[in-house]
Amino acid sequence: MELKTETYQQQSNLAKYCRDGKEIEIKGIKTERLPHYRRLVFNVIKNALQSTYPISYKFIEKKTWEEIVYRFFSEHKCSDPQVWRMPGEFYHFCKDQNYAEKYNLPFLNDLLFFEWLEVELYMMEDQTFPEIKNPLFKLDKRVAINPEHKIIKLEFPVHLMNPLEATQKKGDFFVLLFREPGVDRIQFIELSVLYTFLVENMVSTTKSPEEIFTDILYIFGINNIELLRKETTKFLEELQKKGFILGESDD
Amino acid sequence: MKNIKAGIGFRKDFAEEFLSGPVLQPDFVELAPENWMKIGGFWKKKLNQLAEMYPITSHGLSLSVGSPETLDFNFLKDVKAFLKEYNVEVYSEHLSFSKCDNAHLYDLLPIPFREDAIKHVAERIKQVQDFLERQIAIENVSYYTPVAAEMDEATFISRIAEEANCLLLLDVNNVYVNAFNHNYNAKSFIEKLPLERVAYIHMAGHTKVAPDLIIDTHGEAIIDPVYELFEWTLEHIESVPVLLERDFNIPEMDDLQNELSHLKAIMTKKWAATESAKSTKQHLEKIH
Repeated sequence: MELKTETYQQQSNLAKYCRDGKEIEIKGIKTERLPHYRRLVFNVIKNALQSTYPISYKFIEKKTWEEIVYRFFSEHKCSDPQVWRMPGEFYHFCKDQNYAEKYNLPFLNDLLFFEWLEVELYMMEDQTFPEIKNPLFKLDKRVAINPEHKIIKLEFPVHLMNPLEATQKKGDFFVLLFREPGVDRIQFIELSVLYTFLVENMVSTTKSPEEIFTDILYIFGINNIELLRKETTKFLEELQKKGFILGESDD
Repeated sequence: MKNIKAGIGFRKDFAEEFLSGPVLQPDFVELAPENWMKIGGFWKKKLNQLAEMYPITSHGLSLSVGSPETLDFNFLKDVKAFLKEYNVEVYSEHLSFSKCDNAHLYDLLPIPFREDAIKHVAERIKQVQDFLERQIAIENVSYYTPVAAEMDEATFISRIAEEANCLLLLDVNNVYVNAFNHNYNAKSFIEKLPLERVAYIHMAGHTKVAPDLIIDTHGEAIIDPVYELFEWTLEHIESVPVLLERDFNIPEMDDLQNELSHLKAIMTKKWAATESAKSTKQHLEKIH
């Protein structure tokens, strides 16, 4: 490296100051102007986090939010050159630091995760869609699925209600999020455990819904297959209307 | 005139209005690859629509040519793919650092104006140019305080441009801002630069936050003294694309178009004669 240690140290001191705002010594600096750098840099971080996490920002006490943001930027080394991806690092940082417990915000991990996924899915690179044999799905044929989706498990139903209320309803909540083809909106739908099993199997195996029913009957102890067919058909039709199911797969 | 081109920095804030309306008519648009590469969905469609309507230039934010650490070649690989996908002719970056100790800061910090920094930064720019297989343009940035400086800014910029054999993006507003903030003469500063390397010009507005300090916000209209400096500058360089940057406090499209038209009128006034002479010369060479 051509750069001398002393020059590197001056740059490092300035960068450190921008991250934590603590006094530093830099040769030849106009001290009274230094806070502008801290303000400009920190504003980028604050604004990006606020716009990615509007619900978290609204429901977390301002002082706590600011402390969490401050700790994130001063303690974490943001690694992604794309600023819109930085809030994803914020979610992982908060989770790793166990801020949900430290700040007594039980919903924090779920809410940040949910809000981040909405952004990540909205922005994600276009995926290759599967070939369709028939625009209508059939229960005995493999179903073509929109690949731009995520299935997540939450501890609190932050997707349904404000996080403070959601804290009172701890449980297992499965949510399917996907990008609606054509309009590119993010849709989300809560799934029962049974439908989570069905959808996950439709996504990760080559089985048709009928083939998956065999496992469902056994695992969930269901006897009435006709009722299962009827209810599942309604559910899958709804998913097709919303753009998650694309039709009968050509595979 | 064919070679007199004025563009606009493309922002999501006015994307819809710009793409669907007839008011704003730039010759090209500029965007930051970091905000547009490796994306899909709605904004990818908007980007493709934009690319069908206008030539694109790219102005990077995160390459951080002034960083002490090694370059991020994975990032450069993505930039290279983006430049190819959108047939981007001009790729520029800031002569600053936005990453240190492997932490991105997402804003531009001043590099110490020092001999070892010249060698270090020039070497990094050369690596970038080799990797991208093209010359890049480096922008003079606005700065609010010198950092451990051992020489003046013009010398620092000139030496890097010469040693790296790169192009210059001359940000006229930044020259004005720095001249005001550090009490030097803007025209003398520009005269000291290797003006034959200027491949692109930026123009923007700024905000005065204290009697002795201007911040380069890109959030206001260009002020008259910056137009005057621009007009003077054009007398000293050959015609290059000029870009209007407006990142915050976005006005009506009419206002942006008026600024663009004003810039273009100055460019035409200053460069039309040169362009016309060039074109006559080319024509004569063709027939003989």
